[in-house]
Amino acid sequence: MTAVAPTVPSATRHPSPAPRLSRWLLRLHRPALCAWAGLVVLLSAALLWLGGPLTDASAAAWEQYNACDGASRCAYDQPSIIRYKEVYSATTFAVLALPFLVAAWAGATLTSRELETGTAQLTWAQSVSPVHWLTATLALPATLVVAGTGLVVTLHHLAWSAGEGRIDTAKSWSDFQTFYAGGPLTVALALLGLVVGVLVGLLLRRSLPALATSVVATGGVFAIVHTALPYLWPSVTQVRNRVQDAPSGAGILVDEGILTSTGARLPNPYCGSDVFPDCRAMYDKLDAVGYYRDFHPLAHYWPLQLVATALTCAIVAVLVFAAYRVLKSRTGGAPRGASTTV
Amino acid sequence: MTSSAIEATGLGKVFRRRGGWALRDCTFQLPAGRVSALVGPNGAGKSTLLALAAGLIAPSEGTVTVLGGHPADVRPRIGFVSQDKPLYPQLTIAETLRMGADLNPDRWDADTAERVAAGGGLDLGARVRSLSGGQRTRVALALALAKRPDLLLLDEPVADLDPLARHELMGTLMATAAQYGTTIVMSSHVIAELEESCDHLLLIGDGRVRLAGDIDDLLAVHSLITGPARETATGADFDLAPHTTVESRITGRQVTALVRPAGPLPAGWQTNDLSLEALLLAHLRNPAAPPLALGPASASASPTSQEATSASAIPQEEPA
Repeated sequence: MTAVAPTVPSATRHPSPAPRLSRWLLRLHRPALCAWAGLVVLLSAALLWLGGPLTDASAAAWEQYNACDGASRCAYDQPSIIRYKEVYSATTFAVLALPFLVAAWAGATLTSRELETGTAQLTWAQSVSPVHWLTATLALPATLVVAGTGLVVTLHHLAWSAGEGRIDTAKSWSDFQTFYAGGPLTVALALLGLVVGVLVGLLLRRSLPALATSVVATGGVFAIVHTALPYLWPSVTQVRNRVQDAPSGAGILVDEGILTSTGARLPNPYCGSDVFPDCRAMYDKLDAVGYYRDFHPLAHYWPLQLVATALTCAIVAVLVFAAYRVLKSRTGGAPRGASTTV
Repeated sequence: MTSSAIEATGLGKVFRRRGGWALRDCTFQLPAGRVSALVGPNGAGKSTLLALAAGLIAPSEGTVTVLGGHPADVRPRIGFVSQDKPLYPQLTIAETLRMGADLNPDRWDADTAERVAAGGGLDLGARVRSLSGGQRTRVALALALAKRPDLLLLDEPVADLDPLARHELMGTLMATAAQYGTTIVMSSHVIAELEESCDHLLLIGDGRVRLAGDIDDLLAVHSLITGPARETATGADFDLAPHTTVESRITGRQVTALVRPAGPLPAGWQTNDLSLEALLLAHLRNPAAPPLALGPASASASPTSQEATSASAIPQEEPA
């Protein structure tokens, strides 16, 4: 009898308490929680290292290199430049992988395994309604995912900014990996991964198929958002005449091609400069008078980030709604008023 | 109605994945404060019925009222142990019980939880993963009993226990239930165990109610009779009309039949002792036998419920 004393704390005699599910979610997913914390700490440390010492070393190396001014023999710290590039690529990849990692974990464990093994039903057989269970299952991981991804994305943005203008080979803001890894869009995509995992788990109710489906579905939504991204904010148009050659500039490209004398837009034949006789003949035949290029300049960075984030959050909201609908149609829940059923 | 713990009307559940109705058009009432047995062949819909009553799944048609309300509304008052006794393998027994306390904040009885769980000499520090089937059952029952439910739904509760542990755990179960006045509905294959502990019976087959009522009443309205296969005088085949025949088997010149007598039995037939097991087996073997629902609370207008009222009026045949 005395050996079993530690089982129930006196806190069970609360006046009017609600079931405390959250602390058990943390307990049940402790390994995942530790792995997530470890990953966030590791990635944060790598990004701080990248934005600090590695950027400084690489920038110094580029100063040395540029000081040589094209001399045939030049002594500069090439390893620092390479190390910066490698760590930048690796950390950027890791940040971009977070939504998929979250989707895989959520798909494999959060709802699918609970329904597969019957432990979800065990929870519902206590004083916890399925809706309460789903809310806790979504809210607690969502908080941790947003916090962790948010931190990492912020550090990535800072690390990238630190190298801007100092490292000649630093990625442009419009490099897609850089664009995603350093903005709130990736936080929204990680949240999306979580919600996709929860919904797929509810639908499939089997761990392994739910894992695979969640990752693929998250990739699918990622692709949709990526495809839609250039059109989420009005683009800027650059026009050049034939003598000036096709415009090439920074920013995110939306569309480019040739303009005819009537102002019509034709797809770019990618021939080349007007100075080549073949191309000149072709441009004449097409009645081309110049080139156009629709693109997003740096000023569109935040509008694009925020609108794409909002779009992703809207998809998340739809999926959350769907998850509640699926659960309610399966478990019934308490109807208001008459207890009629389908 | 306060006297029924579970009241089902036209209850049905279809599983699209399994491609069919697990339960169809079930209308019955299970009395409060009693121990009801839920019996039926494998796949009859017992687990579906219990899950519906526990508010874990939604019915496809009909309604089920539990403790006077919707199952989801009375969730804190229902205890449920499912057939496969799901538990979190990574938790220790003590943690599992602490989780029960946290998830049932209003009703948890820590003493009951520990008494039931530790009853089999279990170390509360052991992980659920390391437990045997019987030990898991003990923990699952501890979780359900410590909730001090008004209604306890048990799906094959002690199927994987050895006879000694089964007897011991059933004793604990019944004692705890008696202490709190808990209504119990349990499904089981072990008929002997039901006879010992249950006083009400619900037999379902092919997703429908086949037999419902007090065990004593059900036994009283059935007779196991033996008689000649042919009328000695006319040579005609035996005819048991107007009695309802559940099952008849001919062995040589003798017929053994389980009937629901509608009046005095013809001369020359003798009545044998009828056990619950024989009653259930006869019904399980003969799915075509007409269903029968007995009991004062029985609202379903079963065509054979007339027999219930005449049950006491049936004179017993004298042994030859």
